[in-house]
Amino acid sequence: MPDRSVLLDHITIRFGNFTAVDNANLKINSGEFFSFLGPSGCGKTTMLRCISGFSEPTEGKVLIGGKDMAGVGPNKRPTALIFQHLALFPLMTVAENIAFPLEVRGVSKKERRKKADELLEMIALPGIGDKKPGELSGGQKQRVAIARALAVEPDILLLDEPLSALDLKLRQHMRTELRAIQKQVGVTFIYITHDQGEALTMSDRVAVMSRGVIEQVGEPDRIYNRPRSAFVASFVGENNAVEGIIKGQSGETAALETPMGTFEARVGGGRKYKAGDKALLFVRPEQLIPGESANAFQSVLSRQEFEGATNHVFANTGDQELRISMVNAGLAGSLPGQGETLSLGFRPLNATILPVGHMASEA
Amino acid sequence: MNRHTLFGGAYAIAFFSFLFGPLIIMSMTAFNSSRFPRVSPWECFTTGWFNELFGNARLMEGLLNSVIIGVGVVALAVPIGLAGALALSELPAKLRAALYTVLILPILIPGVVLGISTIVLWGQISRGMGAGFLYNGYFLTIVGQITFVSAYAMLVFIARLQRFDATQTEAALDLGATPGQAFRKILLPFMAPAIGSAAFITLLASFENYNTTVFTVLSESTFTTALASKVRHGTDPSLSALAVIIITITLVGALTNEALQRRKEAEMGGRASRSPLYLNPVTRTLTHPGVVLAILVAVIGGISYAGSQHDSSVCEAGVLQEKLDRQEELRAAQRAKIEAMEAEQEKTLPKSNSAFGGAFGGLGTPAPAPEPAPKPESPSAFGGAFGGITAPKTDE
Amino acid sequence: MKHLKAAYTTLAARHGMGAALFVAIAVTLWVVVFITLPQLSMLDYSFRFNLPVDQLGTDADHYTLEQYRSFFFNNDGSINTLDITILVRTLVAALIVTAIDVIICYPIAYILAHGANGVAARLMVIGLIIPYWINEILRAFAFRVLFGATGVVNTWGMQLGLWDAPIDFIRADVALYCGLAYAYILLMIFPIYNAVEALDHTQVEAARDMGAPLWRVHWRVVLPMAKPGIASGATMVFMLTAGALAAPQILGGPSSLWFTQVIYQWFNESSNWPRGSAYAVVLLVTCISFVLLMMRVFKVSVGEIGK
Repeated sequence: MPDRSVLLDHITIRFGNFTAVDNANLKINSGEFFSFLGPSGCGKTTMLRCISGFSEPTEGKVLIGGKDMAGVGPNKRPTALIFQHLALFPLMTVAENIAFPLEVRGVSKKERRKKADELLEMIALPGIGDKKPGELSGGQKQRVAIARALAVEPDILLLDEPLSALDLKLRQHMRTELRAIQKQVGVTFIYITHDQGEALTMSDRVAVMSRGVIEQVGEPDRIYNRPRSAFVASFVGENNAVEGIIKGQSGETAALETPMGTFEARVGGGRKYKAGDKALLFVRPEQLIPGESANAFQSVLSRQEFEGATNHVFANTGDQELRISMVNAGLAGSLPGQGETLSLGFRPLNATILPVGHMASEA
Repeated sequence: MNRHTLFGGAYAIAFFSFLFGPLIIMSMTAFNSSRFPRVSPWECFTTGWFNELFGNARLMEGLLNSVIIGVGVVALAVPIGLAGALALSELPAKLRAALYTVLILPILIPGVVLGISTIVLWGQISRGMGAGFLYNGYFLTIVGQITFVSAYAMLVFIARLQRFDATQTEAALDLGATPGQAFRKILLPFMAPAIGSAAFITLLASFENYNTTVFTVLSESTFTTALASKVRHGTDPSLSALAVIIITITLVGALTNEALQRRKEAEMGGRASRSPLYLNPVTRTLTHPGVVLAILVAVIGGISYAGSQHDSSVCEAGVLQEKLDRQEELRAAQRAKIEAMEAEQEKTLPKSNSAFGGAFGGLGTPAPAPEPAPKPESPSAFGGAFGGITAPKTDE
Repeated sequence: MKHLKAAYTTLAARHGMGAALFVAIAVTLWVVVFITLPQLSMLDYSFRFNLPVDQLGTDADHYTLEQYRSFFFNNDGSINTLDITILVRTLVAALIVTAIDVIICYPIAYILAHGANGVAARLMVIGLIIPYWINEILRAFAFRVLFGATGVVNTWGMQLGLWDAPIDFIRADVALYCGLAYAYILLMIFPIYNAVEALDHTQVEAARDMGAPLWRVHWRVVLPMAKPGIASGATMVFMLTAGALAAPQILGGPSSLWFTQVIYQWFNESSNWPRGSAYAVVLLVTCISFVLLMMRVFKVSVGEIGK
């Protein structure tokens, strides 16, 4: 088993005065499905181009399989990139596209065709080798692009939002498929996306980026349940943010005084606070439970949005609007009406106190 | 259909009449046996002007020279134009604008200036270096034309390059190609259609050029300069015959190209496999560009053969006799008129003289022009005197 | 220089050393040997005397303003009205031809961009290009056929009773103006088309919907959009018309010379190259300054209307 890991060793990338990536430092394990998640302009594509060799880091090193990649061009690295718009060569047939990496390495024509057919078999599209890319559907093009990238037998496959051009249904289908292909070939996948659904469902681990900084690295459930910064808490999934002042901390939890009352919640990122520090309380909409006795408070229901399985309920406490997700209880259940008072609460471990920082909407 | 569409349609029709009218009328004159190119009076249908055209040694020699020069220009201007387009694509904005201005300038500079500057420079070089062989019409014309023809090629390449997706090159590099391989296998094939059209446009521009060539070609002549000197020194319908040939080639080329484009679009868009036109083997074959070309060539070949068998000598002899008779009549009538006029000169208003307009000239015979010197205030009335054969209409 | 080097490096990195070298050599050759040197050489020549070959390089061969002086003044010191008039008339005529082309091409460019649908638009484009493929000389010849004393225009005009004797359109320069306007139609239509095509047609519809009459829609919405296209088309047509040689030679009346014809005469008939070079420099400088001036004027005036 070759070493298919990627080590980003204190990478900084600047364009003039603009810092696109700021001191990124992480290791992507061999055979892992790893995603970079962030809004557009967060530096994730720059990072990808740096790994693939289209640009060099201003500071720091990229190591692939333990080898320093400084000065190694994109055509010499054991990486293959799947472009956002796939970049299939329109003038070549599908088979020629897939065999292109072999062609430039001087592999014989017969050999090339054999390999192309094998790869087409693998992506479950046998017999389309003589078509032109223009004749394929969106999903087929996607798979051909993957086959072409795999033809180089890369150690690392880099994917730059390849699903963004597809429609919703196909996108969801391709998620499963990508994951399956990755398990089959055992290559390290590095996936770039701004779509948290893609990142969370496919990845072994996710790095959330904002403004060139890696905010948090971890398994999808940890990213969701244990955000380490205000940005991660607000960018991944829905969240209610309430400002307040720390009253005191005791181990894992702290007490926070807010305009809605004083609440106890888990401290995010294992930080230490002093009394009087400003902080933010994050409570997810599905963790605000009517009638819960812990951290209870009163609010007035202002409006509802019905969305099938869930009901999005909005309630006000003072100036603060809160979003609450309620499972649709069907005809047997009942919901409070508009203007009614709602008693809400949340478990201390299901809410997070984080230092004040920029939020997703400001990114 | 509302008022505006109606107006738009009418305007478009008027506009295209202006565009095609002169060409159509010129083409018609190629088949009229009249010595002067015109459609009325229609004398005899003839194909003789085509023979006359091919018999013109100077034009045919010029044609050969034009081909030699054209090949040279295409071979140099297309690569230079491509280089220009590539250079512009990599320069920072400010420098790009400056270089673009410099490279596009030769299109705007009057052709005579380009021609003059070329012969002046190379004249000096050949004198200064004793390289007299550089100072010949072929070389100078190629060099002079390249200056601006390359810019045409460049414009074609720029347009094509703008549609190039740079990630294609990156993808090739990423897949292990060297930059050189990516250039040859990705960018050049992408540019191939543009190379074709650039070659075509540069050839046409080289062939057509007059303003620069007339200086640089020195004592030789190209097709166009030979043509121009023929037009300047007396015209005859063999030039119309030439126009007919060029227009025909153009139309065949345009139709074939259209068939080619449509097919390509259909194939690229994946429409080919659905369209009934392409599924039916008969229509599929018929719409193939090669077949379209073959059919057109066959039809034109047939018409040309039929035309070459046409003999208009009997008709022409008749017309000639008729003309001679008529001239005799006219002479008599004019003599009578002039006499009458002289008799009444004091009373007659000057404008009555205009009735003589165009009545002069004749079929190669010295004009029986009495050149009635009177009335210089209406010289235009005698404009027809340049015209050649008598127009019967004018003396009504 | 630094930028050129950087561009060369990116070119080499992207397309390979071979391609970069080819681009560098070809562009340098083009700019230096084909474009710049000939113009400098012509400029140098225009400041010299017209000497026989054996006197070149001798003491007699020194710089002089004589060639330019003879453009402005006659030998007796009076103003050379003949040549100056020809230059001015050439420029005015070129301006008229340019204006005619703007007027007749604007509606067609607009119809092509927004009025015609698929097939019609395609046919129109082909119809526009085909006449352009016919040799320039033959196009001029066609107008000579058309406007000759026994040409179609005279025959029809007289048949319809519009005038009763053949009009000498050649002498009156009508044929020349028509021929020149015809020759450069394509160069006017496509820039305007490109500019107008970028206009979202719903803007026109919105303006119509708000009750603007068609002329006002064009004046306020379409024309401002077409402005850069008109400017570039007009520049090309003006320069090419002022620099035309074939059409004036074929269609020009015997009494009206084009300035290019004067240059041609100095070269080919009088064999006075320095004089011809000087006249060519005069033409080039005048045309370019005139275009620059007009562009400035054009921009300012239209810019104010656009507000």
